[in-house]
Amino acid sequence: MKVLRWQIVIALLVTFPMAATAQPDVGDVLIRNGTLLTVTNGTLENTDLLIRKGKITAIGKNLTAPEGCRVIDATGLFVMPGIIDAHSHIALEAINEMSSPLTPEVRMRDALNPLDISIYRALAGGVTTIQTLHGSANAIGGQSVVMKLRYGTLNPTELIFEGAPRGIKFALGENPTRVHGAGHNMVPRTRMGVEFVIRSALTEAREYQKKWDEYNEQKMKRGFRGAPPEYDDRLETLAEILRGNIIVHCHSYRADEIVMIMKVCRDFGIKKLVLQHANEGFKVAPEIAAFGAMASVFSDAWAYKFEVYYSTAYNAAILTRNGVLTSINSDDPGVIRHLYHEASKTLKYGGLSRDEALALITINPAKQLGIDNRVGSLEVGKDGDVAIFRGHPLSIYTVPVMTIVDGIVRFDREKDPDDMRIYVDPEERFDQSGFEVPEGYHDCLGTATETFHQLFESH
Amino acid sequence: MRRFVANTIWIAVGALLVFTTAVAQDQELAPVSDTYAIRNVTIFPSPGRRIEKGTIIIRNGLIDGVGENVPIPPTAIIIEGDSLFAYPAFIEGLSKTGVKTPGEDDHSRIEDPGNPPPHRAGINPQRDVRDYLDPNDPNIKELRCAGFGASQVVPRGILLPGSAAVILLGGKTPDEMVLKPRSACYSELTSNKTVYPSTVMAVLAKWRELYHQAELARDYAAIYATNATGLPRPETNRTLEAFYPVTTRQQPVLFRASKVLDVQRVLALQKELGFVLILGDVSEGWDITDMIKASGARVFLSLDIPEDPEEKKKSKKDSLENAELKALTKRRSEFIQKMTAQAAAFDSAGIKFGFSALDTKYSDLHKNLRSMVEAGLNPDAALAALTINAAEILGIDDRLGTIEKGKIANVALFSKPIFDKDAKVMTVFVDGALYTCTEKDAHKKTASTVEGTWRMTAQTPKEEIELKVVLRKSVGKHYSGTITGTRMPEGIELTDVTLDGKTLKFMYDVLLEGKPQEVVVEGDVEGKTFKGKITVGEYGNYPIEGTKDPER
Amino acid sequence: MNRFVLLVNAFLLLFVMPGEAQVPKGSYGPVALVGATAHTITDGIIENCTIILRDGKIEAIGSNVSAPADVRVIDCKGLHVYPGFIDGGTRLGLTEIGSEPRTLDYNEVGNVVPQMRALTAVNPNSALIPVTRVNGVTTVLAAPSGGMLSGTAALINLHGYTPDQMYAGFEGVVLTFPSTSREGPNDKRKPEEISKAAAKAMKKLNEVWQKAIEYNKLDSALGDNKPDYYPELIALQPVIQGTMPLIIEVNGAGDILSALEWVREKEIARVILSGVREGWRVAGKIAEAGIPVITGKVLTLPDRAYDRYDRAYANPGLMRKAGVTVALRTNEAYNVRNLPYNAGVAAAHGLGKEEALRAITIVPAQIFGVADRLGSLETGKDATLFVCDGDPLEPATNIKYLFIKGWDIPLVSRQTLLYDEFLHREPGLQTHD
Repeated sequence: MKVLRWQIVIALLVTFPMAATAQPDVGDVLIRNGTLLTVTNGTLENTDLLIRKGKITAIGKNLTAPEGCRVIDATGLFVMPGIIDAHSHIALEAINEMSSPLTPEVRMRDALNPLDISIYRALAGGVTTIQTLHGSANAIGGQSVVMKLRYGTLNPTELIFEGAPRGIKFALGENPTRVHGAGHNMVPRTRMGVEFVIRSALTEAREYQKKWDEYNEQKMKRGFRGAPPEYDDRLETLAEILRGNIIVHCHSYRADEIVMIMKVCRDFGIKKLVLQHANEGFKVAPEIAAFGAMASVFSDAWAYKFEVYYSTAYNAAILTRNGVLTSINSDDPGVIRHLYHEASKTLKYGGLSRDEALALITINPAKQLGIDNRVGSLEVGKDGDVAIFRGHPLSIYTVPVMTIVDGIVRFDREKDPDDMRIYVDPEERFDQSGFEVPEGYHDCLGTATETFHQLFESH
Repeated sequence: MRRFVANTIWIAVGALLVFTTAVAQDQELAPVSDTYAIRNVTIFPSPGRRIEKGTIIIRNGLIDGVGENVPIPPTAIIIEGDSLFAYPAFIEGLSKTGVKTPGEDDHSRIEDPGNPPPHRAGINPQRDVRDYLDPNDPNIKELRCAGFGASQVVPRGILLPGSAAVILLGGKTPDEMVLKPRSACYSELTSNKTVYPSTVMAVLAKWRELYHQAELARDYAAIYATNATGLPRPETNRTLEAFYPVTTRQQPVLFRASKVLDVQRVLALQKELGFVLILGDVSEGWDITDMIKASGARVFLSLDIPEDPEEKKKSKKDSLENAELKALTKRRSEFIQKMTAQAAAFDSAGIKFGFSALDTKYSDLHKNLRSMVEAGLNPDAALAALTINAAEILGIDDRLGTIEKGKIANVALFSKPIFDKDAKVMTVFVDGALYTCTEKDAHKKTASTVEGTWRMTAQTPKEEIELKVVLRKSVGKHYSGTITGTRMPEGIELTDVTLDGKTLKFMYDVLLEGKPQEVVVEGDVEGKTFKGKITVGEYGNYPIEGTKDPER
Repeated sequence: MNRFVLLVNAFLLLFVMPGEAQVPKGSYGPVALVGATAHTITDGIIENCTIILRDGKIEAIGSNVSAPADVRVIDCKGLHVYPGFIDGGTRLGLTEIGSEPRTLDYNEVGNVVPQMRALTAVNPNSALIPVTRVNGVTTVLAAPSGGMLSGTAALINLHGYTPDQMYAGFEGVVLTFPSTSREGPNDKRKPEEISKAAAKAMKKLNEVWQKAIEYNKLDSALGDNKPDYYPELIALQPVIQGTMPLIIEVNGAGDILSALEWVREKEIARVILSGVREGWRVAGKIAEAGIPVITGKVLTLPDRAYDRYDRAYANPGLMRKAGVTVALRTNEAYNVRNLPYNAGVAAAHGLGKEEALRAITIVPAQIFGVADRLGSLETGKDATLFVCDGDPLEPATNIKYLFIKGWDIPLVSRQTLLYDEFLHREPGLQTHD
């Protein structure tokens, strides 16, 4: 009887790991007389936007501010939905569990770091929501977190985007083959091996699920006597993917591996697939569109390794024109601060319209993360997540001046002090400066490489 | 016959000691009496209570009486407590005092870093700290001489190093020291960086999985135990078995969680799994007291306070402009101030807490406590955290935590009230045994007539024995010292040195023919000379004389 | 691991070079750009301007110039002309694929190897070069890095079939000044260890410099007889003699001050500071020293957690305001094409549009001593310029024509070729069976 009870509890835990109890702070604010870039409903000049209790309650002319509501004069300013980054690794104390090519059981929420100054810096680039992911060392990595940049809280739970679907990192190509193949002399050392590792893991999960289903069924029968199958958190998580409860975010570059992962997903009935990076996605754009997968890409990063040598900055445009829902991501604590600029490059590379370009960093990533009912555009009923710019956000001369999350101003260029750390290092010295993030450094790549050398090459 | 015996004795006193010093040096052999009376002492039996000129009777390891007019048994060794202050010896909740590193000899290559043998990944909940206790660890003495009498100690290691135990900071064998075995399942969010789990998120994933597996295994084992016939044999698994009492909430988990994020991670895990939690080594908890309080977790706060780098810095070339530098150093100092005021914040929040000494320099413990009090911690609350609250958290408040009749005789005698900056621990009773704590700088200031080096000559029937006795001031009439001799070059600790008027008396212990024998030297001091007798256990007594070396 | 690398390299040699999509070649001949708005940089903006390009030079420029009969006329009405942009610090031409060591030619073995010449290793056929120039970046400094004196950098034009054809008239020895900064996120050294390492490097640098001076004295004393072959010291002679600048890579505020002191002490005649990420902290001191700065990249993070979030964006403007001569760089290889955007962000954060443009044209040309040929639209200068349909710092702007030393460069790179091929792929989606 106890066994049964715990099975239910376990099932609950696995299904709803984000039983977040923390209630995030919400606020009221009236943004007056701005140029609203709604993304889904064109540009509205000289328009007001009212946020009450963290939600957009009105968009229109001459709205009146309710009693005690903060009013922001946006005359001459541009107001757009808070920017969304579908691929980041900020606000984490660890990124890669690279000891095994399969680590679906690990949850990035366990490594969340609300104190990371990168959160504030991203806000200062108009970003309000991100997905922060496991690294790309493993064919199947850990579960990601969709979070709002509620910088100022100490409580990791308060950062979590309540109700966002679960996501998980997969990774193909050079990173997993280098870490495990070259590093440990283990499968996968090739792209063949990567496919095999994923297929065998999913197959095992299917069998695992079957065993438990059978056990649970048998157990209901009168007089049943038997041992429960072994509980395995890794396979539990994979089974959840098979049930369609987790979106697969697959780090992938080359056309062939993109086709491969779509075949694997098709064979296992996995429908929710977002190709991350997909530098050669443009080469198989028709196939991606036909599968119904989405793509989250770099604006112009390339050549930092061989599998991205045949890239093009026109990737986002080609994908978009071929009907693939596409977003532009940062994968980097520096780039996340100017995603609006990254999106603006598509005006040049492929001639996307301004609304299309803005969609790449707002409504499209919202759809990829399954949160487009809440964020990604300026619409009544959506969350009060807003970025205000001096100058059009797709102009190089634009400057973000204010960022609002749930109706609360979390970044204010005029008022914020220089030092925005929440906690400080009691042993810090001030006579030595920090470091520049090296060029071509992407956490997916960089951390994997460097830690790999640290950990495995020395032994 | 007598002559012969005497010769044997003297050879034995010297020779045997050479071989037994390693043990004998720190070994506390039985004193003349196990009854002590500390009289005329200011007693703080529990926080907020104070007895002036009281008496504490210690007998058989227990406190036999406390109060103003307590009769002193004739067998009692009397300690004059004038000018002394007695506290329940302190209790700390998380340290590795007296704990050896497990001898790991497995350095074989791990073929699959994703699936290492559990012990290499730090998953050793079946280990027991009792197997790693070393009664001779000098840290025991050091912590004791900071006024502590008990400590919850944990095995060294990562992730799940094993079960903790509450020990008394005195005793000759590990078992003698242990007050409460398996007091908690100890865990850290640390990992072996090269194998699974290597990161904090994998550590937590592994924790959950072990917990769930343990629950299933526990329940199935119960079913199997009732009627095994026809059922598949459950595999025994010591890792999971060690988790059973955690899953049934019979054993708390003592989690080391120093930083604010680690505390929250541990609280989230506890909320998810439901085990009984004790947080240890908390150093950044002041902003999350509500959360901690709501969780019901018990807490041991870190006694460590980082040193402000400004104070140790010698005009390093700073490239920052003055205003910026000033602002930054101010923020840093304010943060250190918050760390210092953490205990006060917990007290105001109404959270019962103790302290942990892990990673704190023991010599800084009093200074840090004083800083905490200066930062707003109520002295009584500080005292409670060091005594009764710690005892309650550890579930030993029926035995420790106050100076009360019937409790274990763990008493610390201070030279001043404890939050006085000149307060020094003079003597600590642990489990009824007396330990003296002498300080190097103390004897400089209060040089007395007997303090110093004495050259003594004992006249035995066969030969003259040269002895060198070094005496240091301790508490009141008490001194401490060592003795070395021709055949005992290593020197041994004197167990009880007193100067009562002119009479100097000291004792030490030797092994003779396999039996411990007490040697008692007693005589009169006249200026720099000493004349008296030396008694060697049941073998009889002989004359002894000595002179004191000139002061340097 | 090694075998793996070898395999990858073999693969690269077999397939990459021959298989690469080819960019069409440039054309040469006299051209008249007619009716443009010319942004001369040094002489203001000339509306309705005609520019005659002949023999690789700007033959004439002005609103009253008319196109001779023998030239190809390009109607530039509504378009803008700018001098080609100059990136003051890159690894372009010296690297192809970041993670493949055999394609990296900027970091020779050895800590003191100033004799390593970047110009030797510049690969004129790098796929990165066309990708860069189609965005208006025509000239870059290709710089070695890695050691303390890691080699001699070269200014190159992004067109030519041999390094010599690309050479744009400047070389400089690169010194990475001993650093007391943390080198990266995985630099876990204790502060004391960093200071110690910096002190050790400083000692080494002084030793090298002393030897270089001694070598110079010996060389002068010997007259026609040369002292013994000592390649490291020979490479430093032009710097000692003041005929070649020393490019000092330095970033931390404290290190910048130390570098300024060192330069004063060693009486080095020509110096360029490069990097200078914390220049804003000590801008007054740099201005006082009168040493020009090449800083960047701009689109990056502040150095310290407590720094204001936009320090890197504002750094060029803050230094300029203090009176420092400021040029910009990307410090990149793959995305040197983003130089205009770095300038734009600096412009918006205090540098101003005009100064930002100067910082990627005439200022670097002056710093490199090639302002007689590059950096502005002036008669007699190289015909290295581009025509675009708007503000060239704006991503929405498209470049229409690009000339490098009079060569009309097709606006084609492998990335545009891939676009052309894959926008509407043939065959498209193949339905099964």
